[in-house]
Amino acid sequence: MIEFKDVNKTYPNGVTALKNVNLTIDQGEFVAIIGLSGAGKSTLIRCINRMHEINEGTLTVNDVNVGKLSGKQIRSFRRKIGMIFQSFNLVTRTSVINNVLISSVPELSWWRKLVGLFPKEKKVEALEALDKVGILDKAYNRVDQLSGGQQQRVALARTIAQNPDIILADEPVASLDPVTAKVVMDDFKRINQETNMSILINIHHVELALEYADRVIGIRQGEVVYDGKSEDVSQDVLDQIYGSIDNVPKMDDPEEAEV
Amino acid sequence: MRETVYDKIFKPKTYTLSNGKEVKQRASRAPFILLIVLFVTVVSGEVTGVDLSMLRTRGHQFIVILTAMFPPNFNFMNNVWGPLFDTIQMSLLGSIAGALLAIPFALLSSSNIIRNRLLNGFFKLFLSILRTLPTLISALIATFIFGLGTMAGTVAIFLFTLSYIGKLMYEHIENVDMGAFEAHESMGLSKVEAFRYAIVPDVLPTYLSVSLYAFEGNIRFAAILGYVGAGGVGLLLDERLGWRDYPSVGMVLLILMLVVFVIERISEYFRMKLT
Amino acid sequence: MNKAVAQQLEKAPNRKVYLSTIAIILTALIIWSFMGVNITGFDQRGTQIATNIFSGLFSPDLEFLFDFTSGGGVPGLLFETIAIAFLGTVFGSFLAIPISFLMSPSIVSRPVAFVTRLVVIFIRTIPSLVYGLMFIRVTGPGPYAGVLTMSLTSIGMISRLYVDVIENLDRGVLEAMTSMGCTTYQKVRYGILPQLFSSFLSVTIYRYDMNLRDATILGLVGAGGIGAPLIFAMRSYRWSEVGSILIGLVVLILAVEIFSNKLRERLVNG
Repeated sequence: MIEFKDVNKTYPNGVTALKNVNLTIDQGEFVAIIGLSGAGKSTLIRCINRMHEINEGTLTVNDVNVGKLSGKQIRSFRRKIGMIFQSFNLVTRTSVINNVLISSVPELSWWRKLVGLFPKEKKVEALEALDKVGILDKAYNRVDQLSGGQQQRVALARTIAQNPDIILADEPVASLDPVTAKVVMDDFKRINQETNMSILINIHHVELALEYADRVIGIRQGEVVYDGKSEDVSQDVLDQIYGSIDNVPKMDDPEEAEV
Repeated sequence: MRETVYDKIFKPKTYTLSNGKEVKQRASRAPFILLIVLFVTVVSGEVTGVDLSMLRTRGHQFIVILTAMFPPNFNFMNNVWGPLFDTIQMSLLGSIAGALLAIPFALLSSSNIIRNRLLNGFFKLFLSILRTLPTLISALIATFIFGLGTMAGTVAIFLFTLSYIGKLMYEHIENVDMGAFEAHESMGLSKVEAFRYAIVPDVLPTYLSVSLYAFEGNIRFAAILGYVGAGGVGLLLDERLGWRDYPSVGMVLLILMLVVFVIERISEYFRMKLT
Repeated sequence: MNKAVAQQLEKAPNRKVYLSTIAIILTALIIWSFMGVNITGFDQRGTQIATNIFSGLFSPDLEFLFDFTSGGGVPGLLFETIAIAFLGTVFGSFLAIPISFLMSPSIVSRPVAFVTRLVVIFIRTIPSLVYGLMFIRVTGPGPYAGVLTMSLTSIGMISRLYVDVIENLDRGVLEAMTSMGCTTYQKVRYGILPQLFSSFLSVTIYRYDMNLRDATILGLVGAGGIGAPLIFAMRSYRWSEVGSILIGLVVLILAVEIFSNKLRERLVNG
């Protein structure tokens, strides 16, 4: 369970990213977070695994107060949270399976870490994760030979191999064409249903958000302006999130990083 | 359009379109640049005493030495191997030591790895200054410090390799996409682990390829280092040229050519595999 | 573990043999190279000279460093070095143009390209100092021999880089021009030359940077430039003079490097 209580976040340059955020997300939910570029979507999910710090309020994830963690605790806390990025963030000059194996690095002995020698059971786990996203046959290909959709599925396999409770996805389909985007969203949906992992997705394709997510959170200028079932999202709600209809993002409008 | 001094002297042409808009076209800079190049050429010719007619009258002297090298003195072959191996050993040891030390230097110069502007700037400047020293001159200095012999040549090659690989690597490291690093941190890897698994695999092929390339070039450099007494096949060249024993010079050059050719092919093969 | 996963696990490429062979060869080479080089540390005399050079760097012969009269001082010698490198680059880059066309497989037939390539490799392997000595026989000692040496030695690399430019020409432009009905002459004049010109210029400037470094060593065989005075100063232990020359050299080469980088950036970005 993820719980935001009166969370505030201001960047050092004075920009307010989150304002009085109160949210509760239960285990196994599939949540889409929508809003304009720069509204604070990215900040919201990055606070959950403490890639960003919050200034005020408390953030609790599975009964752990995230703000109180330090050093080593943060790292072991992050093991239970997977993260997916818009630009995949894979090591492109190495093989697919090596990328997936990285999720098991913290569990290795120091010399295995150094040499990069993975035990057999880790390799099996990695291959099984690749099998789950349907790219087992690409295991020994180099990542830069794969298409964007395939690369995002490698990233997904890397996260699955981590066996997390929660998956955070920051614009996972923004760099993909519409057809591939659907395939990747299908993967998310299936994982959510089969394994009961919570999934939080930042997404600016409103149609995809409504189609796949059970719950939609709308953010405008750092504030939660809508939180409810995706079936209940009406044109009025969208106008409220995006200001006016003119601001509703178009399909090819990539969201800029919010820093 | 921003007006520069040049535009004030040579006025841009103005065209008026049928809809009344005005477009300015800058006067071409080509004639101006050509004039400068011509001027510098003439001045340089004066300074260096270039005299093209001399090439016609005395040019055959160049051919004289060249033809005197043929046929090469094959009996001299056995004298070449020792110094030749010295040359290869010098460049191998210097290249490896330089390539290894280039790693910490490149890391300390990279602003995305060590976040300390002062430190980055210091090591970048150091590598740049080191790079300006021609190998033969650092070899010359090294012979004064370490005495005549292969040690001086190794040091010179080591210094050049360090500066060359160090610079190329920090440029590469600074352009690495930090996305994978961020992803690894989000998975709970420590910074060192994330570096090992995100940056190293990205940089390693380039590092090995650049090191091989440096080694290739170093063999050529090493061949002339003997000229200042820093050991290797250059000593032999110096000696035989002094004695005007051109057939033996031809032999040395022939073997050198073959060795450089073979080493280049091998290194090229591995560099192709790395990319 | 399901069957597909088990199969894939067996398919894992085994590079252990390959990697360990390379590791063994590499270790052997390192040991071999250690045997050849007689490692000597600093002895008493070496340390003394090293400190002398350093003190020379920090207390250079200022009069010598700023002697702007022609010939004698560091500025004059550097100027001569600059001129040698400049002329060598200009001649070399002109000579490289026909050679590079003869080396491009997309312009001439493969055998011709291959033979030219071999000839260029041949030219490149002879050390510049040997050329220097050969040209001194033609011109007598002095900077002129240096210019000829530079011209010859820079052909190899310049033509190789020119070939890359020629091979990477944007053929889309030519296609567009053919579709507009241009003649071959027009295609060469307006489609090819503008593309080649700036890239060739960029290569030439890059080579100038390197030639300047090389020109400093030609003095060692008497082919002009700042190398000879450096050797004399060292051989006669005039360390403050050595310091002046080294400072001048480093400043010059750094300045030229920065300038040539700026110039090439502008050439590429228009």
